[in-house]
Amino acid sequence: MTSPDGKPAARAHGVRLGHVWDAPTRVMHWLLAIFIALCWWTGMHDELDYHLYSGYAVLWVVLMRLYWGVIGSSTARFVNFVRGPRAIMSYASKLHKRSSPHVHGHNPLGAISVLLLLGFVIAVVALGLFAVDVDGLDSGPLSGFVSFNTGRHLAHLHYQVWNYLLALICLHVLAVLFYYFYKRQDLVFPMITGKHRGEAMVDVELHVAPVWRLAAGAVIVSVIVWLITTGFNF
Amino acid sequence: MSPVDRSKLRLFAVVAFISSLVVLAGIAIVQASPADIAAIKSRQDKLRDMGSNLKSVEDEIKKRNPAWDVIEPSADAVQSRASFLLTWFPKGTGPEAGGWTGVNGPSRTYALPLIWQKQDDFTKLGKAIQAETVKLNQLAKAKDLAGLRTQYEVVGKACKSCHDTYRSPDYEKDNPD
Repeated sequence: MTSPDGKPAARAHGVRLGHVWDAPTRVMHWLLAIFIALCWWTGMHDELDYHLYSGYAVLWVVLMRLYWGVIGSSTARFVNFVRGPRAIMSYASKLHKRSSPHVHGHNPLGAISVLLLLGFVIAVVALGLFAVDVDGLDSGPLSGFVSFNTGRHLAHLHYQVWNYLLALICLHVLAVLFYYFYKRQDLVFPMITGKHRGEAMVDVELHVAPVWRLAAGAVIVSVIVWLITTGFNF
Repeated sequence: MSPVDRSKLRLFAVVAFISSLVVLAGIAIVQASPADIAAIKSRQDKLRDMGSNLKSVEDEIKKRNPAWDVIEPSADAVQSRASFLLTWFPKGTGPEAGGWTGVNGPSRTYALPLIWQKQDDFTKLGKAIQAETVKLNQLAKAKDLAGLRTQYEVVGKACKSCHDTYRSPDYEKDNPD
């Protein structure tokens, strides 16, 4: 983007050229990956004290992502990437082509993946919050609101729905590999650096939300997560 | 029909009758009796009841002002259930008893055969649970909230120590509850 005299146009406040993801979105993405991996490991190795802490961490990140999806930077907002059936079908019909145009931010199919992943993460966390441990040592903080039998049932569902989430995560990784090897589009590099790789799309704009909004969200979400961990017992 | 044929026929009938009795008796021995299934279901109901009462204690001791009229009968129920715990595992109520169709589909026991192979160790763990639930009940009667919070964890760990060794890990994968 250049002005008529050839000099780079003055950047409007909060606008970044050639960028696709802002720092909060990238950090949230990788924190979610790390904390979900921790949840998996601690759950499988019967480290349930730490499983609860890593579950709270996932809850914190996923709530931050929902908040950022409403008032965050442009490519993080749901209204900017969730598309209707026509756009999805149109994109999907060109998916097999190796040189389909790059989409700034989430593509219409990727948007479905984002919603499914976030939805399943929330479902697994919510089930875990109400789950009852059979030995009563590591029940979820909200297990006091359900009976023993209901809570046990939710604990088993927590495990079963997690398996669906795991399948979705595998699909997500496979899709990234498909884009890298078949379509020659590196989706990992932008998720680390925030920038587009290569010549294309250097003029796209990312509207970065101000830091105070992130801080305000962090305070609100932290209070919500803290309230949940207390089980509302005061 | 000649007398020889008749006696042959009689012999055949007797042999057939006896051998069919033997086969039927064999089937009866191999197949679990409905009594074993009933014993397993009853055991599971009682263990759930124990868990349910223990949870009632937990839900109260998490609060700043617990309801002692909830804690006391629950702790008492946990202790009295635990006192019968070791009678709930008669021989024949392991996986060999087979399964049945429960509320959430096929169901079975998750008790491992190890229970009947290592009876001494199993009994030791069972008696430990009994001793700890007696203490839990005493603390509940004394309305000792701090002591109860500590003892609650001890009881839970006693339950877990047995589950870790003598219950099948499939229990977490299936949905038996």
